[in-house]
Amino acid sequence: MRTRAQDFRRQQKKPYEGLDALSWALWGVAARRRSKLKSYLERGNRICEESARWGDLSDNALRQRLQDYRPLFRRRSKSAPVEEAMGAVREAAYRTVGLVAYPEQIAGSLGLLEGFLVEMATGEGKTLTAGLAAAIAGWSGRPCHVITANDYLVKRDSEGLKAFYGFCGATVGSISGQSDQEARRQAHHRDITYCTSKELLGDYLRDALQAEAHAGKVRQLISTLKNVHPSRRRRPVLRGLYRAIVDEADSLLIDEAVTPLIISRAAPNPSLKKACLAAKEVADQLERDIHFTVLEKERTIRLTEEGQIKLDDACRQWDGFWKGYSRRAELITQALTAAEFYQKGVQYIVESEKIVIVDEFTGRLMPNRSWRQGIHQAIEAKEGLPLSDPTETAARRSFQSFFRSFTELSGMTGTATEANSELWQIYGLPMLRIPTHKPCIREELPSRYFRSESEKWKAFVRDIQEAHETGRPILVGTRSVAISERVAKMLFDVGLHCRILNATRLEEEAMIVAQAGEPGRITVATNMAGRGTDIKLSKASVEAGGLYVVATELHESKRIDRQLFGRCARQGDPGTSRSYGCVEDELARRFAPPISRYLLKLSGSLLPAPFIGWTLKRGQRRAEKLASQRRKAVLANDLWLERSLAFAADKRA
Amino acid sequence: MASPLPTFSESWHRVASQKLSLRPNIKVSRQRFRGELWHVLENPLTNQFFRVRPETYEFIARLDSAKTVQEVWDECIEKFPDSAPGQEEAIRLLSQLYNANLLHYRVASDSAELFRRFKTRRQRELSAKLRNIMFIRIPLFDPDDFLKRTLPVVGCAINRFGAIIWMAIVGFALKLVIDNFPSLRNESQAILSMGNLPLLYIGLVFIKTFHEFGHAYFCRKYGGEVHTMGIMLLIFTPIPYVDATSSWSFRSRWQRMWVGLAGVIVELFVAAVATVVWVNTAPGVIHSLAYNMMFIASVSSLMFNLNPLLRFDGYYILSDLLDIPNLHQRAGNHLKHLFKKYAFGHKTSASPSVETTEKSVLTVFGILSTCYRLFIFGVILLFVADQMLILGVIMALVCIFSWIILPLSKFLRYLIKDRELEPYRQRAYVVVATLLIGVILLTGVVSFPHHFRSPGVVQAKNRAEIVALTAGTLESILVADGKTVQQGTPLVRFDNWETALALEAAELKREEILARLLEARKMRPADVAPLTSQLESTLEQINFFKQRQADQVIRAPLAGRWVSPKLTDNLGKWHVRGEAVGLVIDEASYEFTATVRQNNVDRLFSTKLDKAEIRLHGEAKHRLHADELSVIPVEQRNLPSASLGWAGGGNVPTDISDPRGTTAAEPFFEVSATITTEEEAYLAHGRSGNIRIRIGSTPLLQRLFRGIRQLLQQRYQL
Repeated sequence: MRTRAQDFRRQQKKPYEGLDALSWALWGVAARRRSKLKSYLERGNRICEESARWGDLSDNALRQRLQDYRPLFRRRSKSAPVEEAMGAVREAAYRTVGLVAYPEQIAGSLGLLEGFLVEMATGEGKTLTAGLAAAIAGWSGRPCHVITANDYLVKRDSEGLKAFYGFCGATVGSISGQSDQEARRQAHHRDITYCTSKELLGDYLRDALQAEAHAGKVRQLISTLKNVHPSRRRRPVLRGLYRAIVDEADSLLIDEAVTPLIISRAAPNPSLKKACLAAKEVADQLERDIHFTVLEKERTIRLTEEGQIKLDDACRQWDGFWKGYSRRAELITQALTAAEFYQKGVQYIVESEKIVIVDEFTGRLMPNRSWRQGIHQAIEAKEGLPLSDPTETAARRSFQSFFRSFTELSGMTGTATEANSELWQIYGLPMLRIPTHKPCIREELPSRYFRSESEKWKAFVRDIQEAHETGRPILVGTRSVAISERVAKMLFDVGLHCRILNATRLEEEAMIVAQAGEPGRITVATNMAGRGTDIKLSKASVEAGGLYVVATELHESKRIDRQLFGRCARQGDPGTSRSYGCVEDELARRFAPPISRYLLKLSGSLLPAPFIGWTLKRGQRRAEKLASQRRKAVLANDLWLERSLAFAADKRA
Repeated sequence: MASPLPTFSESWHRVASQKLSLRPNIKVSRQRFRGELWHVLENPLTNQFFRVRPETYEFIARLDSAKTVQEVWDECIEKFPDSAPGQEEAIRLLSQLYNANLLHYRVASDSAELFRRFKTRRQRELSAKLRNIMFIRIPLFDPDDFLKRTLPVVGCAINRFGAIIWMAIVGFALKLVIDNFPSLRNESQAILSMGNLPLLYIGLVFIKTFHEFGHAYFCRKYGGEVHTMGIMLLIFTPIPYVDATSSWSFRSRWQRMWVGLAGVIVELFVAAVATVVWVNTAPGVIHSLAYNMMFIASVSSLMFNLNPLLRFDGYYILSDLLDIPNLHQRAGNHLKHLFKKYAFGHKTSASPSVETTEKSVLTVFGILSTCYRLFIFGVILLFVADQMLILGVIMALVCIFSWIILPLSKFLRYLIKDRELEPYRQRAYVVVATLLIGVILLTGVVSFPHHFRSPGVVQAKNRAEIVALTAGTLESILVADGKTVQQGTPLVRFDNWETALALEAAELKREEILARLLEARKMRPADVAPLTSQLESTLEQINFFKQRQADQVIRAPLAGRWVSPKLTDNLGKWHVRGEAVGLVIDEASYEFTATVRQNNVDRLFSTKLDKAEIRLHGEAKHRLHADELSVIPVEQRNLPSASLGWAGGGNVPTDISDPRGTTAAEPFFEVSATITTEEEAYLAHGRSGNIRIRIGSTPLLQRLFRGIRQLLQQRYQL
């Protein structure tokens, strides 16, 4: 039953269950079938072949033609001349920014317009692909957000394509972290808006908060009907959400999907601070495996009975709120979690007496972010820092549920294959895998597996030395900032100089990445750093054999490994990739199947390398599965909250 | 609480600033369960109940539209630092209250959400109805007004005075029953006959109406409202029902129990009155109706209503008696917990109960009720399928779906997907796989010695049935019944004057022919040849009749005991040729002749038979051994003894058209075995018993499939 309320109160659709899920999955298989790609490529080819027809037109005539298309795309109708318009837009791109779209890019653009997740390899010109699609989508007059990975790319892409959009008769705006309220409003009111997901969701949540503070949703609706003076009306920043073209879709829709964006305010809570300090003291007295056990895989701490007894003794002098057993145990567990799972240099760093969270995936610092209530304070207590006030959440939403609420969602990424079923299940995004324009000649060297970390590093350094002698540029991908530093030190010890890409400042990051293609350069980077910028090879580098990409260990997701390898051998360049792994890697420790773990314990030094490889690969698959399950659980919980707390005025919809 | 919910919640902001309260019409009552205090919230509009712990109630009770949830929570935390619900728990609580329509909130309802909830509730009700296909309820009207008006009259009886009268009448009826027990039992044989069914049904409706009004009045008497009365289709038989669930909010559990018992109390009273009527009426409609009502009241109330293993009155009474609400559900959860904890090694799994006695009660109840339910539903299923095959199949499908497929798929989903099981999944897989393999091995691979039983009779191995060889009157008995005779000893003599006359006539004829032959030789030589042949045939005739005459004396064909009970009664009676007069039995060795019915025949022929055991009726403690088993490979219909057939009190169905009762309704095969040991058992020709034939070893599963296939084939010709 459709009701008025549904129109402004967007309720998320529940993912399908049971047999429905099965048929949905089958439909997904049909939706991303190979033959689709063929038709898209054919359309792309046709459009490119007909380009002569547009080349003969004068600039003014072309502009006029583009103007004429605009009203045709106002309505969502199948009869809009998409292919014809795409040809015109392609020509416009050539005339304004000098970029010629290949048939593959055109196919990608069409895919984006028609709601696909387009897989395109790095360096295939995703910016232009998105631009062509956005120009046509912008004509509809409905909001079209092009979402990129960071502010730098927002600026680069929106400014780079500004002339093109102008020529097409579409307005474009961009939002960065520094934009003020008015600038944001203006940008959102353009046909096409470039922004990062954080800014978009932030604006959305702030709008919702403001609406709530002002009046209930219903009253707000009424006030738009009543003749309230515009200046008294609180105008939202956004004009709505309709279409999103997401770049690096897998990182946003998968890796960061469950990371919620939180609008928070400080809420002083002296008793919590006191309790965290006390908990730290008690936690220091507890010993691992005697008083508590650590479940690495689930990342949880469990108190043993002895631990509980000890806890009871230690906490006698506590008062008030923390007297209760369950509260107390919770605090201690939190303090232990802080000590066992949160490591300085991996999950966070200490900067001017403050905890700064490090994004484990990108290695990027996340100032002004904090962990959930208690944990943050527990870590501060552990590091002996002054405790900060816990923050109180004002509004909160995960990217996953946010992106599910778009009417038209499409995206681009270099690696989607591994996640295609999840993307279909949760977002209804079918995948369209666009081949590279020139054949890829990447040489993937067999992975090397070792029984111990020292062996691995020894071989690794030797390998780097050898490769360096040929004069090739080398990119080393690591799991975390700490390992990056370790690798740099090891290389320095053998006389190799390298640059570390730690993703602290975006523009610098892009610069380092841009230089990483020069001959003889060694760059050490965390897996995700510098995404979105190509490593361009100089001529000498190409002659030396192209970029050599080395992964020091397998990542928890195969996708991320593939992304790293995708940085070499782009656009038909030569390139080589190799990965290293050993049984002491975190992947093996946390996710190796029990049988391997047992065998390793039994006769670790006798196991053959292929077995170690199998263990790691298997562990990777398990890690992927667990992560996917976690995301689904978060979604289920989100939906449950939405349904069960419908009595609370919704701050988000 | 084994896994406490975190004190702080990330979703707290969604409720923190809300101003909520309970709906004004919610009734709250305090109840004690096993000494623990609970608060029961009741929404009288929807008749929904919600049970909360006191510490939780402290939070709920403080909810006020003038305060924000945050303020209420802070207040609780300050007052009850230890027991107050954490944020996460508070959120769950609020959402539960919201879902139970108990919460009053300020924002406009999300009507789409309300519709969705209504839809899911209706779907759930519908699917519950379908799954409980044996008890579909159709509400009809609201009896509350009527009850309120009539309560002043009826309610007078619900007190001590009423109890005394009840006991007096029921006691008197009991005495009558004991006095008239034989005739009571006699009539019971016809109770399920086709002709009695309408009366039985009328009695059922009549008595159940009283039963339901009993619940309703008791409930009303204690202040509960009764708003629904209707018809329940109990296995497609419409009978009345009443919804007295408002009694659940009574504070006193004794009152709750009285409401539960009310139905049976009234029913027994009606049965007592019916007993008096039955004793004092001559056979007729009233008499039979009274009898049927007695039968229903006693059988149905004892077997169904008061049986706590089914979810009728008895269950709720037991639940109150034990002071464990939601007994069934809790027992189920407790069993699940036991399995999780001990089989899967789920250390933090929590039982719904914390008390040792309660735990054991839950364990026992859970196991018993599950087994009993499966059993009773199986019986009902077969019964219904016998009456109406299609309906039975539909019911069976529904039952298979709701009892096998649904729980199995739920379990599988839990096993594969549930995050709670994540740390124990490996072990869970191993345990389930081991159990599965174990069961399959035990039932599918491991062979167990296999037997089947057939009824049969003991027969002397060497025996001869003595029949009249010629027709005639029994003239004399030469050997008395029960005497041992030698081979050739004359036993009886028949007399047939026709034979004697015929012999005489033939002899005279011979004389005549001889005379004519003499004359012909002299006078007419041409006549000699025909006369000679005439003579020959006459001589043959004479021999024939002589033989017949000799046959009139019957001799023992073998040595043994001459058994001819009551033969003396037949002296002088005409016997046709072939009519039996007695038996000569050789008592040296006996054999057992069993009748094997069709469904076991293939096993008879497919395996080598060697050993068997025989137990005779009335002397089952002695086990007789038998060997030299042989099967007569031709199907038969004539039973070796009438005592095996239905007509003779045996188990083999017989053809009704056969007055002697020795023709089996379906063909059987005969197996005979020589009895080797006698032990102390008294072997006598004609004693009936059962033979247990061992036919190799087969796995259990194979047997089960075979059994089901045969059942379907035999009953429904599928």
